[in-house]
Amino acid sequence: MKKNLKKYFNVWWISSKNSFMSVLNNRLGSSFFLVGKLLRFFIYLFFINILVKGTNTLAGYNLDQTIFFYLTFNLIDIVSQFLFRGVYKFRSKIIDGSFDLVLSKPIDSLFVSLFDSADLLDLITIPPLIIFLFIVGSKLNPGILTVILFIFLVFNSLIISAAFYIIVLSLGIVTLEVDHTVMIYRDLSNLGKFPIDIYKEPLKGFLTFIIPIGTMMTVPAKSLMNLVSPWGVLLSFLLGGIFLLISISFWKYALTKYSSASS
Amino acid sequence: MKKYLQVLKITFQQELAYRVNFIMWRVRNVMQIFLIFFLWDSVYSDHTRQLFGYDRTKILTYVFGILVIKAIVFSSRSIELSRIISDGTLSLYLLKPINFFKYWFSADVASKLLNMGFSIFETIFLFLILKPDIFFQSNPVYLLLFIVSLIIAVLLFFVLIFLINIFSFWAPETGWALPFLFVVIIGDFLSGSVFPLDIFSKSAQNIFYSLPFPYLVFFPLQVYLGKLAISTVLNGIVISLGWLIVLWFLVKVFWEKGLKKFCSEGI
Repeated sequence: MKKNLKKYFNVWWISSKNSFMSVLNNRLGSSFFLVGKLLRFFIYLFFINILVKGTNTLAGYNLDQTIFFYLTFNLIDIVSQFLFRGVYKFRSKIIDGSFDLVLSKPIDSLFVSLFDSADLLDLITIPPLIIFLFIVGSKLNPGILTVILFIFLVFNSLIISAAFYIIVLSLGIVTLEVDHTVMIYRDLSNLGKFPIDIYKEPLKGFLTFIIPIGTMMTVPAKSLMNLVSPWGVLLSFLLGGIFLLISISFWKYALTKYSSASS
Repeated sequence: MKKYLQVLKITFQQELAYRVNFIMWRVRNVMQIFLIFFLWDSVYSDHTRQLFGYDRTKILTYVFGILVIKAIVFSSRSIELSRIISDGTLSLYLLKPINFFKYWFSADVASKLLNMGFSIFETIFLFLILKPDIFFQSNPVYLLLFIVSLIIAVLLFFVLIFLINIFSFWAPETGWALPFLFVVIIGDFLSGSVFPLDIFSKSAQNIFYSLPFPYLVFFPLQVYLGKLAISTVLNGIVISLGWLIVLWFLVKVFWEKGLKKFCSEGI
C-alpha cells in the first residue's frame, strides 16, 4: 500500500514538474494568464465591495460574510483546477488515440487522466488566497471546532469537484466532447461565487441536491458562520460520497465504450 | 462581394458541422446570465429599490441585453488569428486572392448572425421561465441611436481583436494568452458585460468613457435604456468612432510591420 502510494506520488510529481517547466518556458504567455486571473479576482472583489456597501446586505449576508463566500469559492475552484488539470488535456488523448498508452500502463487510468499536469499558475495563487481567507474568516469569530469542520467541508467540496471532473472525463469518452463540458461545469460552479441563497426555488434546491454546487461552494462557508445544522453537515458529506461513487461507476461504464478509434 | 458571401456560407456550415460544440457554447452563455440575473434579482428583491441609478426593471433589462449584445458583438471567428499566425497557416490565407480583413469580417458576420439567432431564442426562453420585468424602448430616436451604437460596437470589437491577435507576430509563444486577457478580463469587465459601469464613481466612469471598451456593451445598453441625454449619446458615438479610426489605423500599421516579421514557422 505504502509502495503503491509512493509510486502514484512519483508519477504525479514527474508530470507536475514537466508541466511547471512548460509554464516557466513560456513566461510571457503565463504572465498574461496570471495577470488575467488576478485581475478577474480583484475586479469581482471590488464589485462585491461596492454592491454590498450600496445594499448593506446580499441575501441577508453582510460584507465580510459575502467576501468570505467569494474567497471560499475561489479556494475550492483554484485548488481543484490545480489538482485536476489533466481533464483539460483529455480530449486530445481520446481523439488521437493516445489514451491507449495510458490504459496499457501499470497505473490507474483515472488517476493519470485526472491528475496529469498540475498547474503552476494556480499553485502560486493558493497561499495568498489562504492568508486572505484567514484574515476575513477571523473577522467572523469562529471557534476552533468550527474551523476544523470548515477544513473538512472544503475537502468534501474537493471530492465533489473531483466527481464532477470524473463525469466530464467519462462524457469525453462516450461523446468525444470535453472542452465545452468542462467549461459548462466551470460556469455551473461559478453559480457558487455568491451564497446559494440568492437563487430561487426550484433552482436553489437543484443546485444544492441534484447538482451539488451549493453543497460544494456554500456549505463550508456557512458552517464557519454556524449557519448549518449537524444534519446539513452530515448530508453534505453523504452527498460528496454518493456523488463520487456515481462518478466512478460512470467512468467504469465509459471505459467499456472506449473504441480506441484513430490509434 | 460574391466570394465573401461564400466565406459567410462556409463559416455557417463550419459552425453547424460541430453542432454539439456550438450548442454547448450557447448553453454556457445562458448559464452566465443565470448568475448575473439572480444576483441582481436578489439585490432588487425590494421592487421599489433604486440603486446606482437603476430600478428593478432597468437592471433586469440590462441583464437580458447583455445576452443579446454579447452574442452580436463578441461572437467572432477572427479570435483564431493568433493561432493562425503562431502555427504558420497564415501563409495559406496570404496566397489566396482575397482581402484578408474582408475574409475574417465575413466569417465574423456569419458567426454573429448564427449566435444572434440563438440568443433571441434563448432570451425568449429565459423570459418565459424567469418572467422578469423588462423595459421596452419606444422612442424611435433612441432605437435608431442604439442600432448605430451597436454597429460601431461590432466594428470596434473586430479591430480590437485584430490588434490584440497581431501581437502574435512578435510573440507567437503566447498563443491565446493575450486574447484571453483581453476577451475574458478586459472585454468582459470593462465592457460592462458583468455589471454596469455606472456603479463606479463619476471620475472612474469618465476614465472608462475615454477608453474603447464601454462602447462594446455598456454604451449601447445605456442608449437602449434611454439613460443618457441625446447630446451625451452623440458625444459617445463621436468618441467611439474616433477610437474606431485610431484602432483601424494601428491595425494597418502593425499588420504591415507584422507581415515583414512573419516567417511562416511551423508549416
